[in-house]
Amino acid sequence: MAKLTRTWWGQRFIEALEKFTEPGRLGRGRSYANSRRIHSHSIKDGKVTAKIEGNINPYFGVYKTPMYTTTVQLTPMSQAQWDKIIPHLAGKASMISQLLMNEMPAGIEEALGDLGLHLLPANAKDFKTQCSCPDYSNPCKHIAGLCYFLAAHLDRDPMLLFELRGLSHQNLQQALLKTPLGRILAQALTQQELPLQPVTSYYTRPRSLNVEKKVSYRDFWAGEKRLTPTLEPLPPPGLPAILIKKAGDSPPFWHQQQSFIGVMTEFYERVKKHAKI
Amino acid sequence: MYIIHGTWIPKDTDDFIQSGAFYVWIETGSVQQTAPGYRLKYLAERELTEVLADEFKLAAAAYIKQHSRTCNLQLPGSGGHPLPSPELARWLGVTPPEDEALALIQHPVSAFPLLDVLQTLGNLHFLTTYLREDTQPGQDLLFWIHHAHALKSIVLKDQYIPALKYRELSGKHKGAQNFEIYPGWEIVSTEYQDQLQLALQQMPLACTTASEGQQPIQYDKEGLLRHFSECTLTQLITQTRLPAVFENKIRGTLLHDCLNAGQTQAVQKGASALERYRQWQSWQQALTVQYGDGFQLGFQLLDAADEGSPWQLNFVVSARQDPSLKLQLDDYWWLDPKARKALLNTFGADFERHLLLELGYAARMVPLLWRGLETDRPTGLTLTLEEAFAFLKEEAWVLEGAGFKIIVPAWWTPEGRQRAKIRLKASGKKIPAKADTGRSYFSMDALVKYRYEMAIGDQTVTPQEWQQLVDAKTPLVQFRGQWVELERDQMQRMLEFWQNHGQQDAELSLGELLQKAASAEDEVDVSQNSVLAEMLAKLQEPARFQPITDPPEIHGTLRDYQKRGVAWLQFLEEIGLNGCLADDMGLGKTLQVITRLATHRSQVRQPSLLVAPTSVLGNWQKEIEKFAPQLSTLIHHGSERQQTPADFKALCSERDLVITSFTLARKDAKLLQGIKWNRVIIDEAQNIKNPQTAQTKAILKLKARHRLALTGTPVENRLLDLWSIFNFLNPGYLGTQAQFRKQYELPIQKDNRLEQSTVLKKLVQPFILRRVKTDKAIIQDLPDKVEHKQYCNLTQEQASLYEAVVREAEREIEEAEGIQRKGLILSTLMRLKQICNHPRQFLQDNSPFTAERSHKLERLSEMLDEVIAAGESLLIFTQFTEIGEALDKHLKNLHYRTYYLHGGTARKRREQMIGAFQDPDSEPSAFILSLKAGGVGITLTQANHVFHFDRWWNPAVEDQATDRAFRIGQTRNVFVHKFVTLGTLEERIDQMLEDKKKVAELVVGSDESWLTELDNAGFKRLIALNRSTVLD
Repeated sequence: MAKLTRTWWGQRFIEALEKFTEPGRLGRGRSYANSRRIHSHSIKDGKVTAKIEGNINPYFGVYKTPMYTTTVQLTPMSQAQWDKIIPHLAGKASMISQLLMNEMPAGIEEALGDLGLHLLPANAKDFKTQCSCPDYSNPCKHIAGLCYFLAAHLDRDPMLLFELRGLSHQNLQQALLKTPLGRILAQALTQQELPLQPVTSYYTRPRSLNVEKKVSYRDFWAGEKRLTPTLEPLPPPGLPAILIKKAGDSPPFWHQQQSFIGVMTEFYERVKKHAKI
Repeated sequence: MYIIHGTWIPKDTDDFIQSGAFYVWIETGSVQQTAPGYRLKYLAERELTEVLADEFKLAAAAYIKQHSRTCNLQLPGSGGHPLPSPELARWLGVTPPEDEALALIQHPVSAFPLLDVLQTLGNLHFLTTYLREDTQPGQDLLFWIHHAHALKSIVLKDQYIPALKYRELSGKHKGAQNFEIYPGWEIVSTEYQDQLQLALQQMPLACTTASEGQQPIQYDKEGLLRHFSECTLTQLITQTRLPAVFENKIRGTLLHDCLNAGQTQAVQKGASALERYRQWQSWQQALTVQYGDGFQLGFQLLDAADEGSPWQLNFVVSARQDPSLKLQLDDYWWLDPKARKALLNTFGADFERHLLLELGYAARMVPLLWRGLETDRPTGLTLTLEEAFAFLKEEAWVLEGAGFKIIVPAWWTPEGRQRAKIRLKASGKKIPAKADTGRSYFSMDALVKYRYEMAIGDQTVTPQEWQQLVDAKTPLVQFRGQWVELERDQMQRMLEFWQNHGQQDAELSLGELLQKAASAEDEVDVSQNSVLAEMLAKLQEPARFQPITDPPEIHGTLRDYQKRGVAWLQFLEEIGLNGCLADDMGLGKTLQVITRLATHRSQVRQPSLLVAPTSVLGNWQKEIEKFAPQLSTLIHHGSERQQTPADFKALCSERDLVITSFTLARKDAKLLQGIKWNRVIIDEAQNIKNPQTAQTKAILKLKARHRLALTGTPVENRLLDLWSIFNFLNPGYLGTQAQFRKQYELPIQKDNRLEQSTVLKKLVQPFILRRVKTDKAIIQDLPDKVEHKQYCNLTQEQASLYEAVVREAEREIEEAEGIQRKGLILSTLMRLKQICNHPRQFLQDNSPFTAERSHKLERLSEMLDEVIAAGESLLIFTQFTEIGEALDKHLKNLHYRTYYLHGGTARKRREQMIGAFQDPDSEPSAFILSLKAGGVGITLTQANHVFHFDRWWNPAVEDQATDRAFRIGQTRNVFVHKFVTLGTLEERIDQMLEDKKKVAELVVGSDESWLTELDNAGFKRLIALNRSTVLD
């Protein structure tokens, strides 16, 4: 089974949940994490509210597909705490460049630990959860499901954590603008999504030109420049898969347990072997 | 002759996914008597299948038959018929109209779509270049071979990524889901962008006008190139067979989807597909962003002052457009805002954001770098010695491969690197300064006595020091003030090796030593300041040779590089190696060899043997007479030659040099093998390139103390020639032919491997002395115009004709008077000159214009081959239109590109030819001119060789003709070759002109009438034939 989260920060989020959730409910919760069960979700003031499709269960007197309302909220940080956290982040190129790369800065928890703070939830005290299902236990499997769902979202958008911790997008922007490095991140955050790049053909389509009625024999058979008399020797094989290494081992579309770079390296090797070059 | 053509043809479809195929077809033809003088043919399906399947082995016959189809070409034509391609035209000996506008004519051909396009194009290149002389690629196919080759290096460097393509649907598809997403592949490579730009300029129109359909079509070049690259790459990837284990590993991923690229069922719709597209897009952006950016991030490692101090790794940025604009980030952060803003013009508006991203990408690959980013003004970081070492060893490569600039200390670069190594220190005897008699000190299998010693870089290290280094705990140490890498395990092994072998003398043959020196590992080195090292260094770098002093034995002056060449020949003989003198044509290989022969005549008369093409035998003899008349020579040729072994031996023992032809080296093999020669010299050594022939085998069996090969063609590039020449010079040195083929020939020629080609170069380089005209040192040493006479003999046929004319003239001159006598003299001269050119010119009987009938023509063809092979162009002057015409046809038949200008050439055509010839991007060509039509006015500086096929007996007129090439605009040295037929009036008149030059009174007029002033006896002496110079 594919992992529900691939990043260390998503993992940290799940670990916190797992500390105070009964294993059976965790297991069932995983199957709720896909978006087909979660019909809608919204975040307001750091509180996540979702509509989750439950199961028919005559034992509990549930005879038609139920729809539960589930909420998860992380303990919000105070303004005073944010005033410490943001300058701390925005004072280091390492933090900003990781956030620019859409990654949770690796040293963030240690850095905030020095201030006696933590951003990622650590245990039950960081969660406030609720569900309308008949299960007496909190967290129930729906809450667990929603948490898995959030962890996966965090994977792709680590900035979401600020919102879950109660810092609105607008306030984050304002705080960032106060330092030179923060300003760079703030600008990047306001940037629109990349525009879609529609193509009109799958491969570049060669255009048909007006056929030349008359040509010179020379122009027909020779280009403007001569070809080199011999083929250049091919370079010796360099380091494998170097191009894709640059964008990291966790591209957003990659949900496998195996290392993306590892898989691509093997793949490139096989192509070369097949091509016999 | 088969000309293989081929091009990429996109499917004629409007489908979103438009594939294509690479079709090949074959053109052939034959000469015909009736107009237009040739018949042109494209192989029909049956023949095409036969050739492609049986001869080229492209695929099984049934498969080819099944997949071949008719494609429509558009070809330039005249009179409603397509013209042959340039390759075929040259072979047929026809000249297509170069520059006039021609109509494109539709022409159907049977064509076969290639499988495995990249690989097959490579195979076709190998096949047409090295395997089959009867097959050539057309310009269209050749272009694609080059482009496909460039594409291979993209695949080799993994410069392509899985991709998604977003297609907006319109019209009836409008609705919630108005898009589709297709998985596919994308090339991400700056090299590819550069290649496209280059390919656009190289692509001939012929590549763009073939189609599968009936309608004439012409594609835009760039679109066609991209379509080819994208389709071919996708095809290559999707046809890669992956094991089930691997497929399972990636099932459900983007990568897996992309393996079905190019198929409609792979298409995806809906919100989740769109989300994935956006994810992919942000990823792709990260990979491609640097290519558009204005700057390049770099890392500069500065070494520590001493072993205790830290190392420094600095962040540097340089402008993409102007890499010399470099800035340390340390400086950047301290600039005032205005100055920073100004930099954004160069580095890009989003410089700081992209900088942080690039730093992040780099640090993600090399986590060490994060340490430099723990600040709001990152400038670099300090490293420990171990970290610095790891950076140099590994991480710098990763970063460089990912497009970052790496600057490391000079001592780490391949040139500056100091390595620990075991050196050979030759011990005992010294090489005698001059090996005058008896055995040489060395030979290929002579054993070299040496001891091992340990060294770092150039410096010898004592075992104690070595032990200390091995005990050092660090991978980099400062050794005598210089940073050095230590590979402890290897050094330990070396120490043990030394302890076992270092104490006593060891032996190695010189051949083994050279092989050791060429192989990639450089653990073994030869101790400097030793005789052996000096020897190796000299061999590696011929420029080190001190020119010999002006030899009194030579009547003439040698140029500096020639004296150096003689020193090289001498050195090689002294150390018992056999080499190949491969100087460019015109640099005087002959003179260098003669000098060696003259300055080193064996004291016990032991003759040397020279084997050369028949066409140059006379030239050798003449040059020896001129420069070293004291050398006694014997031409072993012709039916009168001595064939009794004992007599031959006796005859030889009185000579310094025996000169014979390749033909006789084979026919008289036994006779020649019966003598132990001092040297065997092979002129035009490409004649022994085929090891299978009886000629080569006979030559290999000759016994000699020294062997020498001469050639003017760059042998390094023709590997089989190279092997065969080495098999003559130093048998076994390059292995057996089969070993050589496996180890070098196939990897280099078929797979284009750089490593093997480097090793081979190192192996052969000590044995080859090749100076080219364009070497700076040579240019300085040469006058701008180098004149040289090329002496040829008459053939038996020419001699008979010549004698008949002479007899008749001798009779008639006695009775002739006044005007009549003058007329007789001039017409006799004319007829004899015709005979000297070629029997056909005299006979005017349309008999074959072949090289066998005239050594002059044969020699011209050989020299022309060398000139064209070197990529240079030439002029040929003659005063006879019938010779001009015949030469033009003859050379075209030999596949040369020629132009012919004579009195009857229309003005417009003349301008066109000159324009085409002068175009620096045109192929090397021969321009034939009649002396009268082409001798003045025009500029043909694209040529740097001028041949005077026959002579105008007035130097001023010849000089004026030569000046077509030797004039303003000429940037190279010009070589003038004047043909002189030995034993005939040509040789004598040439001598008279030389004598006249000496007394500095040029009384000759603008024509040959001055010769009519001769009295009868003088005239008879002038035209008499010296029978001994006739050669068959």
